[in-house]
Amino acid sequence: MKKFLSLVLTAVLASGLLTACGSKESTAQPEAETSDNAQTEDAAAADAADNAQAEDAAQADTADASQEEQNAGELQVITVAATAVPHAEILEAAKPILAQKGYDLQVTVFDDYVQPNNVVEEGDIDANYFQHIPYLDSFNEERGTHLVNAGGIHYEPFGIYAGTESDLTNVPEGADVAVPNDTTNEARALLLLQDNGLLKLKADAGINATINDIEENPYKINFVEMEAAQVPKVLSEVAFAVINGNYALDAGLNAQTDALATETSDSLAAQTYVNVIAVKEGNENSDAVKALVEVLKSDEIKKFIEDTYQGAVVPFE
Amino acid sequence: MWDSATVNMLVENTWITLYMTLVSTLIAYAIGLPLGVILVVSAPGGLKPGAFVYKVLDFVVNIVRSVPFLILLIAIMPLTKLIVGKSYGPAATIVPLALAAAPFVARLVESSLLEVNHGVIEAAQSMGAGLFTIIFKVLLAEARTSLIVGVTIALGTILGYSAMAGVVGGGGLGNIAIQYGYYRNNLEILFVTVILLVLLVQILQMLGTRLSKKLDKRITG
Repeated sequence: MKKFLSLVLTAVLASGLLTACGSKESTAQPEAETSDNAQTEDAAAADAADNAQAEDAAQADTADASQEEQNAGELQVITVAATAVPHAEILEAAKPILAQKGYDLQVTVFDDYVQPNNVVEEGDIDANYFQHIPYLDSFNEERGTHLVNAGGIHYEPFGIYAGTESDLTNVPEGADVAVPNDTTNEARALLLLQDNGLLKLKADAGINATINDIEENPYKINFVEMEAAQVPKVLSEVAFAVINGNYALDAGLNAQTDALATETSDSLAAQTYVNVIAVKEGNENSDAVKALVEVLKSDEIKKFIEDTYQGAVVPFE
Repeated sequence: MWDSATVNMLVENTWITLYMTLVSTLIAYAIGLPLGVILVVSAPGGLKPGAFVYKVLDFVVNIVRSVPFLILLIAIMPLTKLIVGKSYGPAATIVPLALAAAPFVARLVESSLLEVNHGVIEAAQSMGAGLFTIIFKVLLAEARTSLIVGVTIALGTILGYSAMAGVVGGGGLGNIAIQYGYYRNNLEILFVTVILLVLLVQILQMLGTRLSKKLDKRITG
């Protein structure tokens, strides 16, 4: 009896493992967020909130795709790999516009940051839309891929939000300022604080700056580093908090109206962290890709982005 | 790479880890030691069996031990804020650390006390010793070596938990290992923080073993 029970248990566990391995689109969240490349914090942030949504979207997309194939006999197919929010949503908004131009846009949602690049490199998918340029560059460098930037579409601005203090020019000595603790987010936060006169980084700090690179700290600010998702939760306790666009949205803050300061659309941060359409080297001038980028940068999509995300996502010029 | 900022960061965070670990363990014992004693005394067949008390405490200890530490850390942030005034920082991390460790400590204490030779307890009872005399002069006294060994185990475990303090801005060596060693792929810092942590655990372990040997009644000389 005991032997039988233990056999059954082993079988159940084994089948459980196999079903988990089977779903390619739901690779482990921690794996994605702790990849050893510079992260796409926008995607990471969105994924943390929208994991379930991504899976639903994936199933919906594959269902739609098979439908499209039957209807769209004359349309040229473009396939794009994207993360769920806001990338896949923006692509879905662009779909009808592209259909009018003669293209059938098929979106596949992924929730990790390695697969979308791999499938494009291998030629299985035409383009992807989930990463910013620093991530793309280091991905190419570390994995020997040949992906290029075909066009910058949007960026998700960081903002400095008021906690117990609301005057960036009058900071009490020793105040606590909360910042995200991971590579790209922390650097972005520090750069934004530098732009607003709260600190000065060493000249060579760059986009991987940490608090060890702070040269001048006139208000003797105590920087509290924590998980990006946690920062908005301590807003009421600290003097200021520097929060990602989408986490701010989740916390009910609007980057345009509630933030004391944000990255401006002509700032170095916007140009650096713009989320791009990436394709395999050589494809950036194909008609399909050019059409895709053109539509995503069109006034219609710009309006969609502005209306839907209200400042958390900003179209890139 | 080894500029003064980095070295300072490592030194400062070593202190933070020590501070969090030692204070949390102290508070965990303040809660867990009485809990463990009550568990042993009120157990069926114990000095003063009390089915209701035992069942409730046993249940509570099991439940709290089952909650993954990271989740406990975030879930009790309102309580942390109430006690410490802030929900982030090293002092704030002590609250969930102590609360998560207390049931663990209770089990360690319970296990140590259950090892005490029944003959000694019975002898004390036959001499007319009261409950509290037996608890302090017999149970805890006889079990003290085992209890100290338990302290070293608890310290090592709590130090391990404290690595997650970084999630709420608590700092410490574990956080440095994750932030710089893992996120930023800085293998040198990862290596150094691991060595520092190993050293810390070794020192605490050594002190504990020495102390327990000194107090051990079984080993003469």
